[in-house]
Amino acid sequence: MPDIWWKADPQDLHRLVDRVSSVYVERSHLDRDENAVVIINKQQTVRVPAAMVAVMLLGPGTRVTHGAIRLLADSGTTVCWVGEQGVRMYAAGLGPSRGAGLLHRQAWLVTRPKERLAVARAMYNMRFPGEDVSTHTMQQLRGREGTRIRKLYKAHADRTGITWNGRIYKAGDAFAAGDDLNRLLSAANAALYGICHAVIIGLGASPGLGFVHTGKATSFVLDIADLYKAEYTIPLAFDLAAQGLTEERDARLGLRDLIARDKLLGRIVTDVKSLLTPEGTDFEDPEANLLWDEHLGAVPGGTNYANHADLSVHGMTDNHIAVIGPEINDIESTP
Amino acid sequence: MTVIILIAAPEGLRGHLTRWMVEASAGVFVGNPSRRIRDRLWELLATRIGDGQAILIEPAANEQGWATRTAGRDRWQPVDFDGLILSARPKKQLNENSRPAR
Repeated sequence: MPDIWWKADPQDLHRLVDRVSSVYVERSHLDRDENAVVIINKQQTVRVPAAMVAVMLLGPGTRVTHGAIRLLADSGTTVCWVGEQGVRMYAAGLGPSRGAGLLHRQAWLVTRPKERLAVARAMYNMRFPGEDVSTHTMQQLRGREGTRIRKLYKAHADRTGITWNGRIYKAGDAFAAGDDLNRLLSAANAALYGICHAVIIGLGASPGLGFVHTGKATSFVLDIADLYKAEYTIPLAFDLAAQGLTEERDARLGLRDLIARDKLLGRIVTDVKSLLTPEGTDFEDPEANLLWDEHLGAVPGGTNYANHADLSVHGMTDNHIAVIGPEINDIESTP
Repeated sequence: MTVIILIAAPEGLRGHLTRWMVEASAGVFVGNPSRRIRDRLWELLATRIGDGQAILIEPAANEQGWATRTAGRDRWQPVDFDGLILSARPKKQLNENSRPAR
């Protein structure tokens, strides 16, 4: 049994708020070299301080080894694959928060219509500061939001002198439709989704249990990202288009600079927590190994509660297929 | 800002440290780890440095504004002169525990 001293304890990891928001990698290999996460391409080799990064965004042309992912997961770094075609696929290691308190709370809120409505209202309330939306129905709120966004597009078009012909967006193929401005918006939003997703995973909440959005595995990500589009991605896209910067890369870098300037990561953390938890509760609970019990609440895990030993061996079922290469002597492949 | 310098570190230790800090040059690490993480990293380095040497330079609330920690074999020891921390070079003959003459 090899000594895995390099494994990080939750105590060793920076909280999400203290991390750099994102590192974007394209046309490179991600590997593990001497316990370091390395990015290798034709020009150079760079070691990534993974424990200092909230999310690694992997663009087209990346290749990742199992060793690299193992280290990234151990560092509590979220990994997102982002494509030039707007197709996003997410994978996540264990975030820095490993308790389940916030997740339980989120599930509790989202499955009760009254509580769910309250959270959804709170989300809209963040966008209409100073207004009372406590009696609005979801339908009214959707209408208000539509009007607000339309006004916003027009105001920014007037400000920058860029023609705005409406948001053209083909679901699932964001970059196929639309003009430069729409493409910039889509690219900036994709990066924003990645950051929000990282925060949600990092806090130990579920990206799938949305309050306003529903039916998608990333519904809660869309909910949270919508809180910041008016302030960040929309003005950014118009500014960039006005400067003639129309590359998707410009949108990503522009958003990254804004995130760093405003310390947005910390704000997203605060917002997610305040939406899901009542004032004064802290769900940064340490992980606990418990088994649920309908009468006692919970009993300790890691214990065999059997009265007599069950000696039957459960083998693999017929529908599990494994593809395993031949033995290799060298576990740590050096690039 | 924290700076860590590793000399003749055993294999894997430098790579491990790059997960928390940026290796600016061979064996020279720069970063902003929090106090807690600094302590935990140092604990790990000090126990695993073996025959090499580790030096950590961190911000401190003293007149100089910084303090050092050292670990490893034949290392230079920080010496306190009434609040001014200087480094003492070991004489080859000195054993591990004796302090150099002032």
